[in-house]
Amino acid sequence: MITRRNFMIATAVTPALMATASFAQDTRTLQVFIAGDTNISNWWNDIVKPAFEAAHPGLSFNVTITRGIGDGNNTIAQRAMAALLSGTDPQVDYFEELEPASTEGSIEAGLWTEMTPANVPNLALINPAAIQTPVRLPYRGSQVLIAYDSARVATPPKTFADIVAWAKANPGRFTYGRPDKGGSGRNFVVRAIHEANGLDPAAFTADNFEPAKAEAMLQKAWTILRDLHPYTFGEGSYPAGNTPALQLLAQGAVDMIPAWSDQALQGMNQGVLPETVRVVQLQDLALCGGFAYSAIPTNATDHAGALTLANFMLSPETQISVVRSIGGFPGIGWEHLPAELKAEYLDVIPLSIPTFPSGDWQTAMNDGWYKNVATNLVRD
Amino acid sequence: MVTESAAPGANPGRRRIPREALAGLALVAAPLALLVLLVLLPTLSMVAGTFHVETESGSHIGLDRYGDFFGDAYSVENLRYTVVWTLLSAVTAVVLALGLALYLRFSDGRIPTMVHALSLFPLFVPGIIISYALARFLGPNGLFQLLLAQVGITGYTTPYLTPIGPYIAFVWENLPLPVLVISAGLAQVSDHSIEAARDLGARSGRILFEVVLPQITRSLIIAFSLVFIFVIGSFTVPTLLGPPAPEMMGVFIQRTLGNLMRPDVAKVQATILLAVASVVGVLYLVTMTRGGPERP
Repeated sequence: MITRRNFMIATAVTPALMATASFAQDTRTLQVFIAGDTNISNWWNDIVKPAFEAAHPGLSFNVTITRGIGDGNNTIAQRAMAALLSGTDPQVDYFEELEPASTEGSIEAGLWTEMTPANVPNLALINPAAIQTPVRLPYRGSQVLIAYDSARVATPPKTFADIVAWAKANPGRFTYGRPDKGGSGRNFVVRAIHEANGLDPAAFTADNFEPAKAEAMLQKAWTILRDLHPYTFGEGSYPAGNTPALQLLAQGAVDMIPAWSDQALQGMNQGVLPETVRVVQLQDLALCGGFAYSAIPTNATDHAGALTLANFMLSPETQISVVRSIGGFPGIGWEHLPAELKAEYLDVIPLSIPTFPSGDWQTAMNDGWYKNVATNLVRD
Repeated sequence: MVTESAAPGANPGRRRIPREALAGLALVAAPLALLVLLVLLPTLSMVAGTFHVETESGSHIGLDRYGDFFGDAYSVENLRYTVVWTLLSAVTAVVLALGLALYLRFSDGRIPTMVHALSLFPLFVPGIIISYALARFLGPNGLFQLLLAQVGITGYTTPYLTPIGPYIAFVWENLPLPVLVISAGLAQVSDHSIEAARDLGARSGRILFEVVLPQITRSLIIAFSLVFIFVIGSFTVPTLLGPPAPEMMGVFIQRTLGNLMRPDVAKVQATILLAVASVVGVLYLVTMTRGGPERP
């Protein structure tokens, strides 16, 4: 029997219930833009997304891949900038990787959200090696390592001199990629430049390039690499990129190469590289690397949701997945991750993450390498 | 023959351009306009720009930037390497295609049909696929080396990352076009002339060199020109399969433009490559427009 009282409650509650139900169905979907390689976009879709949805019911995201289209995420950032100026919806919430400075005037115009532990609590855990500016969120890193076949390399190299000594003792069994075709080869050449100039990455900055001085500094590196040249695979048959270099290692044509940490670790996990392949980082001065930085526009359609996602990306749970699933380095300090994970990757954890400026230095390096190291022309 | 009556000046009484010719011109007008606007004009402006020399004291017109190119041993070596290996590839492709086309012309049945289909197969394989496939097949410890080892041949040195690597790929991927062109030429060699030569006691070699080849020289030149033009501007195959240095000009130009960000230098390199390619282009045009008994 329906009493008046029950009827009143029922009529009052039903719309509320319906509202709750419709709220639960109405998932807020964030728009995430990714310009990175397939391994990154797949990882976001297959691993990050279900975990994020489970951790934050009512929130989800949609990945749009901008890799190879126009200028990738920069194009979308320009769209967000235009939306900011015209006060319209930018239809973007989260950039997986972006250099905000690439969109002219956007930082000054306040397009980018300043992230601090106040709005992204997990920023308190950040890895001190990650250079942090308020508008860039470092959440995964990768670095060039030395990958070697432990069945053939008895003592893994600890210094650059160790690599040269091993290569000379084992002619044709070491190689590195051409510096302009991929970061693994490029950062090996950079390491030779560091080796020749007092192991001091700080000597190379974006605005201290002077042709005459650079020529002298680089020439010392060319001497080192030229000395190594006849002992490399095919006496100077440097492969054309990161993957071709890994392929030579996988085919057993060489026993030691520089490789990106994420590509090497993923290759090892997937069984693409022989089981005996190991990776090691040089201990006197690590090879170069860097972090991927995410950014959130201030005019994001769902700004609060985007900050929730940023915090989720820096949670220990997701950061373990960065190491395990994509072979990256964590954006937060290793001390916030399980001790056994750190023990497992002890050989590759860098004490520092050196960098080398792009622009003039890199141009001079690439051109100089071709003319002084790769060519078999007799030089005067 | 058809070509004779259609040759210019064959009909001296003609005064007005007939309607069909106008319709034909209208059909080519659109693509021609695109070609002029989007290819020819930018090319001309690029070439003209290479003579414009900027110095601290002002600018002048001169060959200074060409002097820089030819004064640089590395650049000259790249040019020499490009021309030599392009010539070798084009000649090899034409010789192999001639053999295939002769076989197809003088045999019947299902096997030649299959050979014909197979010879066209590379037409459908992109350069990047053939590059990776050859790197795995001919590369160190690749399938080819393993097969050789099975029959006791050791000491194989891989052509991967040496000049031979791209050479093999160039010949492979450029086989179909000369096969088609030379086959078309051979189709016009009449059986009667060959039978007549045979009746007079000529051997196969003599028939080939004195009866068949003289009748298809134009096809051979056209086939050679096409392969040459394709190979000299190639990028993917020499990048992935070739040595780091010397570089093919296509790779060198791309690196100068994209990596070193020196468009001024890249333009000079491109103009020099254009000049080399033009020599063969002119050869092609002259062969195409010259009147003759055979037209492929």
